[in-house]
Amino acid sequence: MSSRSTMTPARTRTPFTLKDLVLMVVLGVVFGFLYWALVQAWTGLSILMGPAGDLAQHFLLGGWLLVAPIAVAIIRRPFVGIIAEVLASVIEVVFLGSAVGPILFVAAALQGLGSEIPFALRRYRSFGWGVFALSGLLGAGLVFLFSAFRFGWYGQELFILRLVVQLASGVILGGLLAKVIVEALAKTGVVDNFAIGRDRIGKA
Amino acid sequence: MSAGIEPRRFTDSPLGRRNPTVKLALLFAVSVALLFVFDPVTPAVLYLLALAAVAATARIPARILLLAHVPFVGFGLGLLTVNALSRPGTPLLEVAGLGVTAEGLTVGVSLGLRSMVIGVLSIGFIASTDGVALMTSLHQHARLGVRMTYAVLAGYRMLQEMPAEWQTIRSAHQVRAPLRSHGRPRSGVRSFGRSAFALLVVSVRRGERMAQSLESRGLGLGPRTTWRPVPLGRADWWLALGVLLVLALVFAAGEALGFREGHELLFARGAGA
Repeated sequence: MSSRSTMTPARTRTPFTLKDLVLMVVLGVVFGFLYWALVQAWTGLSILMGPAGDLAQHFLLGGWLLVAPIAVAIIRRPFVGIIAEVLASVIEVVFLGSAVGPILFVAAALQGLGSEIPFALRRYRSFGWGVFALSGLLGAGLVFLFSAFRFGWYGQELFILRLVVQLASGVILGGLLAKVIVEALAKTGVVDNFAIGRDRIGKA
Repeated sequence: MSAGIEPRRFTDSPLGRRNPTVKLALLFAVSVALLFVFDPVTPAVLYLLALAAVAATARIPARILLLAHVPFVGFGLGLLTVNALSRPGTPLLEVAGLGVTAEGLTVGVSLGLRSMVIGVLSIGFIASTDGVALMTSLHQHARLGVRMTYAVLAGYRMLQEMPAEWQTIRSAHQVRAPLRSHGRPRSGVRSFGRSAFALLVVSVRRGERMAQSLESRGLGLGPRTTWRPVPLGRADWWLALGVLLVLALVFAAGEALGFREGHELLFARGAGA
């Protein structure tokens, strides 16, 4: 523990740079747009998602978690996951016009918090498959509690099914897929000027 | 250039002239209040009031208002069906081996109507609010930091250009893609993923350039003036007071007449459980 002051650079104290903030926004914009493009491409999907949406949402939930672990793995600072996820929900509600309304900000904050906890426990230094998987699991699990309260899932016969599907989606789409995307991004070199690039170059 | 990625805005209306931060806060307050409602009457009354208010003050053409209902009416119907079929309670009737319960139906109708209340208010909010004005107002009235504000505005600009960017990337990929026997390039999940990743990389790079150019102009170094400040006036406070008063009245009427029910309804198991 005593090595903390030498191991952790002063950057945790300084406010976020504009570059980091814009990166978080960009992630929210890109994933918000891709979802929109997906719905445009398969109009049937959006119509189907209506009646089936109540159950189908659990399969797709992991996709909403992506922004937080990607942002945390690139910027490697506290609160990045929460801020990135909330910014993504702002884009969704304000600029893309989601009818879920501003309650989405709360859900997003919880998702971001859940996704970020595993990275925080490893002090933003460990980014292996296990941490990402746990990140997806916690992100999906934490927001499940809130959604269950919102939609009164407690007392439903489908409760366990909902939970299992959502957690699995969180691990696969919101955890492991995030790791794949982060590695691919790092390989292209576009994130070399962020913390992830500094750490990579430092190791090499 | 934008291929309709944004919802249409009708900002020249009584609701459109109100302060965006106030509207957003009110929408949030109504959403939170509805979290504690599980009877069908309260959201039904609120939906009618909300629809009337939005129709009267937002000047959204009726056809657009109706079309905007489609996504959340579908979602509401889903909530209704799932709850009616999957909740234990007093059985009402059997549908294909699945029992519909009275409790399930009540909760289902309530949740379906709740998504419609929030949906119609969200339409009113989004259609009457300009995105840039909202961010400016959040900066002025909700103490949102200047760098955060400008980061979101930069993202907004990017979002507007994204359909064109996406089309460019798709075309570029398809030009080089191997053709299938009927002479068209294959399009599937893989090619979608490839284009999506290209879009991500291009956007991250562009975002970094944007941040650098904003910073090189000294953004966030000192106090700033605001271009086109958003007014916050007496009418906005009247709006807030009115909305909260109506909400409180509906809740109070629910208590007085005995139709309001909260979470305890979820666990009130009927005889046939």
